[in-house]
Amino acid sequence: MVDKSYNPFEVAQAQFDRIAAILGLDDGTKDLLRCNLREYHVSIPVKMDDGRSRVFRGFRVQHNDARGPAKGGIRFHPMETIDTVRALAMWMTWKTAVVDIPLGGGKGGVICDPHHLSMREQEQICRGWVRQLSNSMGPFQDVPAPDVMTTGQHMLWMLDEFETLRGERQPGFITGKPVGMGGSLGRKEATGYGLVFTVREALKQLGISIAETTASVQGFGNVAQHAIELYQQLSGRVTCVSCWHQADQAAYSFVKRDGVDLDQLRGIADRFGGIDKDKALALGYELLPGDAWLEQDVDLLIPAALENQITGTSAARISDRVKVIVEGANGPTTPEADEVIARRGIYLVPDLLANAGGVTCSYFEQVQSNMNFFWDRNEVLNRLDAKMTAAFDAVSSSAKARRLSLRDGAYVIAVGRVAQACKDRGWV
Amino acid sequence: MVEKKSAADDLIGFYREREKELECLYRIEEILAQRDAPRDGVFHKVAETVPSGWQHPHLCWARITIGSNSYQLPGFVETSHALAAEILIGGKKGGEIRVCYTRRTPEADEGPFLRQEKRLLQTIADRLGAFIRHQELIEAAQERRAESPQDESAEWRVVLNLLHHTDRNLFARISEKMLNHLCWSGVVEAERLRRALIPADLELECGSDREANKPCPIQPLVITERLSDEIFRIAAAQQTSEQILAHLRKWIQDDKLGYLARVSNRNVTIAEVLGSLRRFREMSPEGTDLSPATRKGLIVSLIRRFLSRQLDFIRVAKESIEVRSFFEILERIVYPSDSHGQLGGKSAGLFLAQQIVRKWSAADPLLANVKFPRSWYITTDALLAFLRYNNLDEVMEQKYRDLGQVRREYPHVVQTFKNSRFPPEIVRGLSMILDELSGAPLIVRSSSLLEDSQSAAFSGKYKSLFLANQGSKPERLDALLDAIAEVYASTYSPDPIEYRAERGLLDFSEEMGIVIQEVVGTRVGDHFLPAFAGVAFSSNELPWSPRIRREDGLLRMVPGLGTRAVDRVSSDYPILVAPGQPGLRVNVAEEEVLYYAPKKIDAINLKTNTFETVEALDLVRKHGAELPLVHRMVSIYDGAGLRRPAGMNIDLERDDLVFTFDGLIHETTLPKQIHGLLRLLEGEIGRPVDIEFAHDGQDLYLLQCRAQSSSPASSPAPIPKDIPAENLVFTANRYVSSGCLPAITYLVYVDPLKYSSLSERDDFLAVGRAVSRLNKLLPKRQFILMGPGRWGSRGDIQLGVRVTYSDINNTAALVEIARRKGNSMPEVSFGTHFFQDLVESRICYLPLFPDESGAVFNERFLLGSPNLLPTALPEFARLADAVRVIDVGEATGGKVLQVLMNADLGEAVGLLAEPSSIEQLAEPRPDIASRVPDRFWLWRFRIAEHIASQLDPERYGVAGFYIAGSAQNATAGPASDIDIIIHFRGTPRQRADLLLWLEGWSLCLDEMNYLRTGYRSGGLLDVHLVTDEDIANKTSFAVKINAVNNPAQPLPLKKRDAQ
Repeated sequence: MVDKSYNPFEVAQAQFDRIAAILGLDDGTKDLLRCNLREYHVSIPVKMDDGRSRVFRGFRVQHNDARGPAKGGIRFHPMETIDTVRALAMWMTWKTAVVDIPLGGGKGGVICDPHHLSMREQEQICRGWVRQLSNSMGPFQDVPAPDVMTTGQHMLWMLDEFETLRGERQPGFITGKPVGMGGSLGRKEATGYGLVFTVREALKQLGISIAETTASVQGFGNVAQHAIELYQQLSGRVTCVSCWHQADQAAYSFVKRDGVDLDQLRGIADRFGGIDKDKALALGYELLPGDAWLEQDVDLLIPAALENQITGTSAARISDRVKVIVEGANGPTTPEADEVIARRGIYLVPDLLANAGGVTCSYFEQVQSNMNFFWDRNEVLNRLDAKMTAAFDAVSSSAKARRLSLRDGAYVIAVGRVAQACKDRGWV
Repeated sequence: MVEKKSAADDLIGFYREREKELECLYRIEEILAQRDAPRDGVFHKVAETVPSGWQHPHLCWARITIGSNSYQLPGFVETSHALAAEILIGGKKGGEIRVCYTRRTPEADEGPFLRQEKRLLQTIADRLGAFIRHQELIEAAQERRAESPQDESAEWRVVLNLLHHTDRNLFARISEKMLNHLCWSGVVEAERLRRALIPADLELECGSDREANKPCPIQPLVITERLSDEIFRIAAAQQTSEQILAHLRKWIQDDKLGYLARVSNRNVTIAEVLGSLRRFREMSPEGTDLSPATRKGLIVSLIRRFLSRQLDFIRVAKESIEVRSFFEILERIVYPSDSHGQLGGKSAGLFLAQQIVRKWSAADPLLANVKFPRSWYITTDALLAFLRYNNLDEVMEQKYRDLGQVRREYPHVVQTFKNSRFPPEIVRGLSMILDELSGAPLIVRSSSLLEDSQSAAFSGKYKSLFLANQGSKPERLDALLDAIAEVYASTYSPDPIEYRAERGLLDFSEEMGIVIQEVVGTRVGDHFLPAFAGVAFSSNELPWSPRIRREDGLLRMVPGLGTRAVDRVSSDYPILVAPGQPGLRVNVAEEEVLYYAPKKIDAINLKTNTFETVEALDLVRKHGAELPLVHRMVSIYDGAGLRRPAGMNIDLERDDLVFTFDGLIHETTLPKQIHGLLRLLEGEIGRPVDIEFAHDGQDLYLLQCRAQSSSPASSPAPIPKDIPAENLVFTANRYVSSGCLPAITYLVYVDPLKYSSLSERDDFLAVGRAVSRLNKLLPKRQFILMGPGRWGSRGDIQLGVRVTYSDINNTAALVEIARRKGNSMPEVSFGTHFFQDLVESRICYLPLFPDESGAVFNERFLLGSPNLLPTALPEFARLADAVRVIDVGEATGGKVLQVLMNADLGEAVGLLAEPSSIEQLAEPRPDIASRVPDRFWLWRFRIAEHIASQLDPERYGVAGFYIAGSAQNATAGPASDIDIIIHFRGTPRQRADLLLWLEGWSLCLDEMNYLRTGYRSGGLLDVHLVTDEDIANKTSFAVKINAVNNPAQPLPLKKRDAQ
């Protein structure tokens, strides 16, 4: 019997195959890029708090480093599988390539559940992981970052172990560090701002002045708040924000026709972007059901909360006025919705491009760490603008030239760049 | 910062100091032991020796002052770096011992001195006092002897003579006692003397003939002077004069304490008991003059009078409580004039805990800063006095009224109570309390008689009220009286009445004591609050990780007043810690830590005189510097993670702060201290306990201590053993918590195999949406969710259905099924993704491992029953293979699903049962909760001993009785039988009789075991008869007897002459 169960790596490979066909890649290149270049499996023995020893299994996958050192997070997950890590490593290769930063793609993880581990034990796992892999990693080989269940604290332990082994300070070994410990300013803003840079470019292409546009945003987390911040600075008007209400266990949309006041909303929101319903009502906001954000009469929709929010059916409810959808979250639009959106001629900026501000800022952190010289916030954000704008232009012209959607255009340009690097190096 | 030394260095230094101190003490003891040496020389030597016990002996000088004389070495200089202790001689100040450092030395506990040094100095002072007193007594005795040079017996004769002249009654009683004493010692002459005093006919009726069952007539003894002389003449012939003197002293002492006997008299009022106690305190402050038996008797009487009449309580309490423990109550009790009341359950529990902690605090430095808030008590019967005083007696019938009426009338009762007046003696007492409290906030807590009863946990049923206690005295008094009236009224509120009715406690004459406690805390801005507070349980019934054991305990704490940790508050969470394993936190991922952090603080507003809830961060931003330990309670969130501040390296106004308690948990001994406290209290009280506590930044205060209770829904359910296979849905035997879901009507089953073979990512997501819809559709708390692996998994969607808490919040239980994949058994999540939400809303969590041997997992029922999904949610019909919705009644012809979970046994079952059998099963069994777990073998061993002691060897022809197997090896589990080997030498008839006799035991024990554990086996004894021949040939079980390896253990049989 054929095992037809869901395998994330196979899904990623199928997606690659489709793009490779568009690009007309030769078999050798296809074969190289379908699989990862290197894959490490390590055992990490740890002395537990109760004196016993336990061995944890760890991975590091370097999918491709033709364009530069591999880059990707480290996950702590009790049911981690190598196929998940492989798929995510490949995704990282495309992500760094689409914004044209000189990095490759990687991912790693340890099979463990931090819920059943003390902080000391987690520290031992972090240090053990680095000890096992330190020869295959480094600022110019492979650069890890925080991911599922790992934080800045884990990164600092790993960095400390790495630097101890190397006998020198190498802050560029890892990203996601706290500011002052080798972290970069502008990190909080990066994804939201990056998103708005692509919006600005998209509107430019459509010949619309951003000052005359209105937007509806799903989510009020870090990405959404910073996107609204920059969008408003560029004179755009956000008329609707939707977010999750914890106490009611339901989402609500908050509408203000003449534009929401970001600072006011921040003042009545909790740390997770949940807006206080009663205070919002008192401030004159109209309260609507959670999915009302989608139906607003606006020019711009920014889904910046969860995946699968715009589906084949709900896409039908999108107002005729909407001209651009920017994917702030990962995968907020289903393939069926993609078709509806394309049919209706709405311009969609795909997640791969729209939320690449985060990885770009990680790259900046690495650059600053390597030269041990740190930029001010403005410099970080200006450079981010330049990178995002260039990336958008490249994707947009590639899509136009090949008559592709922007989503396919983004993949094509990413895969194309990696394939070219492999070719130039004489690998294939 | 103090320079950081290694822990080992600290420890060595610590013990080196203790060694020096001990050495010093021993040397002083040696000096004082030389009784004939001249006093001056002794004191000089002591003064010379003392410095050797101090940290810096070369800088240390000592001086002893007795009266006007001082003793010191020539180098002594009085400096300000000094430590002094009074020398008490016979209770009066007779001198002083002083230690001075001649130079400034590093700061220690008390100036330059260690805490232990202070104690050492006091000990030396006490020894010197005792030495001087002893010398004085010897000198006095010598002087007396010099005055009247009689024979050695003179001393007791003098005493007796004195008695004869001053207290005739006492003289007679003492003489009689001596006569009795001599008779019991078997002195024939005394026996003869007593017989001569009793008329002959009386002797016949009452002598040693035990057959007579008439009461003896009372025989008055008249002690004349002549008789007394005769008695003591015999005594002098039998005993040394020291012995006689010792007897006289003891009897006189006991007699002097005769008034204490009143304490045990139930008809004596509290006022009189307190009077006796006060007199006793003045006479013998240490209570050491009592004989051990008298003292125990007195303690038990006092416990019975003030604390509890429950035998269980008394048995535990008498081991830790001393007579002097009650002295503290003396000035702290308010009672009606004719009171016979008690302090009530809550006060009794806390009082006991206080004595236990005090008893052990010397042995454990972690207990040293465990304190108890100042408390005052109003006796339980003050409620009745209050009712009588206001002619409110009819309210006592309230409990027998219809519950609807009780509920309707309750607001009226509250108002009536609040408008009533208190008897003047109560008002006077309360007024004095307020004077003593001088404006400190206080809490008025109920302390009822029922709260004491171990089987019914009345937690939170009666009121506790905080008072800011600000303003003028009359205002404060009014507020206090008002609060007490409200707490009184809560006795008649519908909830406790309903609860009592359910438990059959309605006819109990409930009385309500009150305890008024000073609130622990400090002023922070306009608010008054402790640094943090909470509750702790010695047995962890909610382990969130397989590594956490029940004895690791559970701690729920919040910043500020503990109310938010005691009660479950929606949308805010306490910090949870297992004090035995503080490293294993519930919330690990950053977003979990942020989300489940406490965000509000309960505090008393001293300005507005109210109890209120404030935003935690507002308070910290404005007045954080005043909040003790704030830097150990918060972490700083900087976008890249949460950081524990290094010391006070924290900007309270600008940093993004989150209450994580990380500093307290990882950098202080708090978890260890609380764990130690819980282990101690559980050990001493003999059952799991729960405590309430508060911390003011310096000390940990215990506010409450009682037996750990669990609601019926979360107490261990008895697991029936004889369930027909077709009625079993599943069994579980790992990571089981306790609980009982008696009547589940719907079951949502996400089939793990079908789920993992879904091919589209969308289908996986759709399963989550389907579950979410079912959660809204199915009746709340009447369905359970069973699904693969990790509910709410945020990683690989194959590993578990992706849901958030709101998608499952109506389920009664969340069941995770871990199916074997190849060689690996997937881990289950323990509901960690929303564990704390599950806890707060009391949703049960249960992992199943169907592929483990012995586990039952009824796929026929789960896959074979009709699936409602396509009809209930047609839009998800395509998922019908993976998601099955079963209407249990429909599928089974009217049965319900019961989920019974028992953490004591580590077992759980899901079974199909008739709805009628629900109540019977859901009935909580109090003895299970009180049983100490994993002592199954001990019970069996004791039972076997008992049976052997009852077995008549001659009647049944038995030569030996042995115990073998698990009960002997201490490995028995709840279902184990008791292996008995009987060496039999009798006739066939005896054999039949013996087996019949044992059969009776076996059946009876089986029933007892069922009541204890839920296991039934049809007979608990496994009897093996062996003969001489068997033993000689070493056949069958006879091989166990006298075996080299693990032999059966012989138990003593009934003694032949004991008939």
